[in-house]
Amino acid sequence: MAEKPRVAIFDFTGCEGCELNQLNFEDQLLDILAHVDIVEWREAMDDRAAEYDIAFVEGSLSTPDCITRINDIRRRTKVLVALGACAVQGGINGMKNTQAIEEVREEVYGEDKYLFPTLPALALHEVVKVDYNVRGCPMTQIEFLKLFTSLVMGKQPIEPDHAVCVDCKLKENECVYERGMICLGPVTRAGCDAQCPSVGQYCTGCRGLVTNPNLSGMEEILVEHGLSVDEAWKRLELYNANDLEGAR
Amino acid sequence: MVQFYLDAERLPAFVAHLMAQKTVIAPHAKGQKSFTFETVAEPDQVVLDYPRVMQSIRKFFLPPKEELLTFDLTENSYETTEVEPIDAIFLGVHSYDVAAVGRLDYNFSVGSPEKNYLTRRQGAVFVGVSFVPDSYHFSGSVNIRPEDPTGCDIFLTKLFEGYVLEVHTPTGEELIKGFDMPAHDAGRPATGHFQQHIYVPQTRLSEIMEQSYDNDVWAETAEQCVGCGTCNLVCPTCYCFNVDEAVDVTVTKGHRERHWDGCMLRKFSEVAGGEVFRESLAGRQRHRIFRKFKYISDTTGQPWCVGCGRCTAACPAHISIVGIVNRLISDHAQAVVAPI
Repeated sequence: MAEKPRVAIFDFTGCEGCELNQLNFEDQLLDILAHVDIVEWREAMDDRAAEYDIAFVEGSLSTPDCITRINDIRRRTKVLVALGACAVQGGINGMKNTQAIEEVREEVYGEDKYLFPTLPALALHEVVKVDYNVRGCPMTQIEFLKLFTSLVMGKQPIEPDHAVCVDCKLKENECVYERGMICLGPVTRAGCDAQCPSVGQYCTGCRGLVTNPNLSGMEEILVEHGLSVDEAWKRLELYNANDLEGAR
Repeated sequence: MVQFYLDAERLPAFVAHLMAQKTVIAPHAKGQKSFTFETVAEPDQVVLDYPRVMQSIRKFFLPPKEELLTFDLTENSYETTEVEPIDAIFLGVHSYDVAAVGRLDYNFSVGSPEKNYLTRRQGAVFVGVSFVPDSYHFSGSVNIRPEDPTGCDIFLTKLFEGYVLEVHTPTGEELIKGFDMPAHDAGRPATGHFQQHIYVPQTRLSEIMEQSYDNDVWAETAEQCVGCGTCNLVCPTCYCFNVDEAVDVTVTKGHRERHWDGCMLRKFSEVAGGEVFRESLAGRQRHRIFRKFKYISDTTGQPWCVGCGRCTAACPAHISIVGIVNRLISDHAQAVVAPI
């Protein structure tokens, strides 16, 4: 490779946990830096750049300013990667969209609300073209490394599109439903190596839904295990409100 | 064939006797309600009275994930990952899981023999144990009785207290040498009745399936099915896999890995260009059932389902394989009767 790819990292509405997770690559960070030049990263450095080969973007878009900035980033970058649940599918922030936006604005900003224009929280792909996704809340490290090595090698990354149940069965985890828990694994996209069920937790659906999920079938499962229909959908909407708009 | 009586209290001593000869792999309790085959460390941790293990012993011969080769991008070279035979005693295997290994032996031997599976299969010794059918087992409908010793070197049939121990092969004879047990001459009992039945034998199922391609049951089942793939992944005769590659973060070395896959998963039937040729869950469900009772069975004459009940027991939507097959049978019967 003649020149190292120039990488920039940006954040929008989110907790910065995904970015922090990149800094947490303690064992791999030097290897990563050997393959790329990081030219812009507000959380970790001061430099700014005019153009980039790869932009990693965290957070959802929730103000008019966000829209302007993401369009600007899209113009400057060759490849745009959405990083984490907020950027990929709207994530936790999407719960805002299930309520009246003016009420939300008033609840958060009170009488100063006129100083803070707000929009429904949008996933990046709802505004600009997204080339690749790294899912999870926070973004899944193993998936980030796979995507990173694929991009450096110029290969098409493979995005998993099977349920978390598959990863649990491969690891022979006892199904958390057997332990009386309620799990979104059957319709949630794997790729996390079933991280939560492997340590006795249930899946909250942070990595988004599989393609063409059978939502009424999933509702039936959740209701059978004791949730009301409303609770079932609220549980599904925790990370996926935007993808579930109008699905109920 | 020789029969002995093995007292339940002497079971740990028997396990220890086997462990002195070879690695022993047997069922252990796992989690709150589940069981799994593991290498035995403590003889008294072995559980022989269990309904079914989550994953059959398939996982030892066809691991969920396995490295096929490693490669070096700087030298442009690769090295095949060598596989060893599993020289171990599988203790406490149910008859349907032994039968399932026989099915896999066929699948990996015909056509182009598959080296990794067949290498691992060398050296395995089976000590079977009878089971009491629960509300999911239906192996009787596919000609596998709970006390069927086929394929086993030694077979244990549970009595109220203890077991009838039968030796079926010279390997089995070697294994019990030096372990004194009283002879048993009272025969052995059947170990229980099945609560689940497929109404007709395999000889008729193929034809019924043939007429059932457009049955409504596929679409009706698809309303409940969430396509999670659990039924495929717990099936002891499913063997589909996918192969992919990963490089490490230095981008100089990597490996090729194969892992279990399943026909209920959308990406399974995705091809280059993004086309998915079995998009509907109804079509995928039909394919799964036909793989168990028609496609391979038309060649071999045997059902490729061994009646363990795992797919039904593990399904989060409670889809019953027996329910689907019996529905096809009764719909077919009605269609035949209807013209009269």
